[in-house]
Amino acid sequence: MGVDWNSFFEGFMTALSFQNLLFIFLGGLLGTIVGMLPGLGPATAVAVLIPITFGMDSTSALILLGAIYYGAMYGGSRSSILLNTPGDGSAIAATFDGYPMTRKGQAGQALTLATLASLIGGTVAIAGFVFLANPLASFALQFGPAEYFFLLIFTLSAVVSLSKGNMIKGFVSMLLGLIVTTIGVDSQSGVYRFTFGNPHLSEGIDFLVVIIGVYAVGEVLYNILVIKDENQQMKEDVGNSWITKEQWSRSFWPMIRQAPIGFLVGILPGAGGSIASMISYTTEQQVSKKGEEFGKGAPEGLASPESSNNAASVGAFIPLLTMGIPGSGTTAVILGALIMLGLQPGPMLFQNQPEVAWTFINSLFIGNIVLVIINILLIGLLVRILKTPPQILYPIILVLAFIGTYTLGYSIIDFFILMIFGVIGLLMKILNIPVAPLILAVIIGNMMEQNFRMAFVSHDGFLQMLTASPISILFAVLTVASVFLPALFSRLSKGRTES
Amino acid sequence: MKKYFKVFPILMLSVVLVLSACGNSSGEANYPDENVELIAPATPGGGWDATARALQNVLDEEGFVEQNINVENQPGGGGEVGWQYLSDQNSHSLSVNSSLILTNNLLGQSDLTYEDFTPIATLATEWISTAVPSDSDIEDGIDMLDRLKEDPKSLTIAVGPALGNNDHLSFVRVADEYGVDVSELEFMIYESGGDVLTALMGGHADVATMSISESLEQHQSGDIEILATTADEPIEGAEDIPTWQELGVDFTFPHWRGIMGPPDMTEEEVAYWDETFSQMVETEAWQTVLENNGWQDYYMNSEESREFLEEQNQMYEDLVETAGLTD
Repeated sequence: MGVDWNSFFEGFMTALSFQNLLFIFLGGLLGTIVGMLPGLGPATAVAVLIPITFGMDSTSALILLGAIYYGAMYGGSRSSILLNTPGDGSAIAATFDGYPMTRKGQAGQALTLATLASLIGGTVAIAGFVFLANPLASFALQFGPAEYFFLLIFTLSAVVSLSKGNMIKGFVSMLLGLIVTTIGVDSQSGVYRFTFGNPHLSEGIDFLVVIIGVYAVGEVLYNILVIKDENQQMKEDVGNSWITKEQWSRSFWPMIRQAPIGFLVGILPGAGGSIASMISYTTEQQVSKKGEEFGKGAPEGLASPESSNNAASVGAFIPLLTMGIPGSGTTAVILGALIMLGLQPGPMLFQNQPEVAWTFINSLFIGNIVLVIINILLIGLLVRILKTPPQILYPIILVLAFIGTYTLGYSIIDFFILMIFGVIGLLMKILNIPVAPLILAVIIGNMMEQNFRMAFVSHDGFLQMLTASPISILFAVLTVASVFLPALFSRLSKGRTES
Repeated sequence: MKKYFKVFPILMLSVVLVLSACGNSSGEANYPDENVELIAPATPGGGWDATARALQNVLDEEGFVEQNINVENQPGGGGEVGWQYLSDQNSHSLSVNSSLILTNNLLGQSDLTYEDFTPIATLATEWISTAVPSDSDIEDGIDMLDRLKEDPKSLTIAVGPALGNNDHLSFVRVADEYGVDVSELEFMIYESGGDVLTALMGGHADVATMSISESLEQHQSGDIEILATTADEPIEGAEDIPTWQELGVDFTFPHWRGIMGPPDMTEEEVAYWDETFSQMVETEAWQTVLENNGWQDYYMNSEESREFLEEQNQMYEDLVETAGLTD
């Protein structure tokens, strides 16, 4: 499309109009709040709030929905950091180092850092959007079933490799997740697998129920049953809200370099924030000189996935706005809402209604800044959660977990599934089995299986699938490397210290 | 004071009478006398949800129904969960439906079928397109069918999100009419219509079958090429695309959406909705809904819908068998 600067600035001015600024602010605030609740991620936030846009002008509606999406991305990491209970798949990576920071008494700093990382990730990605939307959209089209399969298997292996020293436990966790995804109707053959005649199970188990169960319910059970000493539970000290120079300088380059990775993953239809943040976290750990501090409250371990998943959420709009293809669950919901409002996002949008497209892109940029302000102001309020006595806090988390679960499928059966996964989460914590491989496997398992089968059919075999394109080969090599290199490195460094 | 007490019951009675007369223009029973529940057997954001919410908007804003109309999402099992729920409700609950009410049963995935409900109306339809990537060497629809006739496995066909849906079965129908061995066709099943489109534009599938509303704009921008549609007449604004009938394969295939109620609704209740919907489809507001969603008007009243469902059920039964989906 080239950058049409006239429309760009016109869009900027429209986005700055009082009415639209108000929508950006409202959407951002609503999104942040909804995003903070366990189980209510961006897709649910947008879907639940769609009725507000009925009767609105379509540009404003797009701006409002975009802001809600964005706000939910910012809000998602709040509960990850404070309570170790991510609201959505893309906020899982924020628990890895965000929660340890909280335990070290740096909750305020963790929240600030995550907010700034989101701003940087979002801004880098918006710049990428403005200059590169079209070439990148055609890049995304290169991904066929074979390429997707290898990308997905790389993501899985990268996350398994995080469980350094005990990869077996990581594999067990991943396999459990893959087993969970076999439940439901098999899309290739239409066969019902492990549904036990229950129509509700035919669509499989929603990964959000698994996330809420394993994290929120599991965390509460663990704290109640295992940690007896109440004083040990939460650090009273929530620390400064402003980050130190050291935290900033350690996080700065990771935030900058992970943004493009998240952005590229976000453009791929179907991939999205969960995969982006996991890949960013694991690659950052590999390249970092202080990789061994990851998982123990390393600031860059929080900043890189947070930058990445916000960049991914901007990337997801590229296929939507340039080709009319929703790149994520959330953009699919937004697409549905826009069609009802009479706006057809797609290849003709930039030609027919450039002002709508550019107003929206500018609103994303303004929204980022507004959200940083909202989120920094909220920090003082949020850290008080940590001072809430456990006997009040845990019941509230449980209630929210059940509400969040109900909004996913409007079904009581999900409550039982939630409790089962709560117990699984508890056991995994006791046995010290990492939960991230399980969650990721549940999120991408079906997609991986279906892409494998399609690739196998269209390339007539595994070898042909592997050599289908340079992209497949690249991800296959990365997969092998991610499993073996960490082991190799640790052996090498061990050898060095021994000699 | 006593006087007033005597007058009061009479006053009350007349108020009730007047109200009931307003509530129901046909002057029969007082239906609907509580909130009307419109079931969308899907999550918010999908096609069924869009239909239900559009109906809610139009019926409410144009003042057709005095009572409140609420949309109730009951997702799961391709409509099964929502329709199970509907079958236990009273006549103040209605649900959106589509051909899945027939195929779920024919594919052995549900015990419920159209006969377990009261047909209310058929409202709108989409037509289905067959498309190829813009750089494909397939010349036209007939060329594609010829290739498949020669070797059914020579082309991969993208469809989503499941076999047995309209997009899939309409393709089976056209291929079958042309004499292709449809049990040998190689379908690639994608998770959504958007993924089908991506696969086609990226050249990862040779052919795709999907709703026109999902493919038309990409056709107009030259990203893909629609070979033919299942419509009964050329699509407005895209008259260059032939219908299969024009290409000589004699059939049409609507992807319709309608409304049905729980079993055992009374004649008066059905008549109420016949009157309401027949007026609603004439409104400007409903025409806008059709236009925004790329739907065509396909209104049939309750009686016509009942016959239509029977006829469709027969067609789907044959088709599901031809496609080799029952074994």
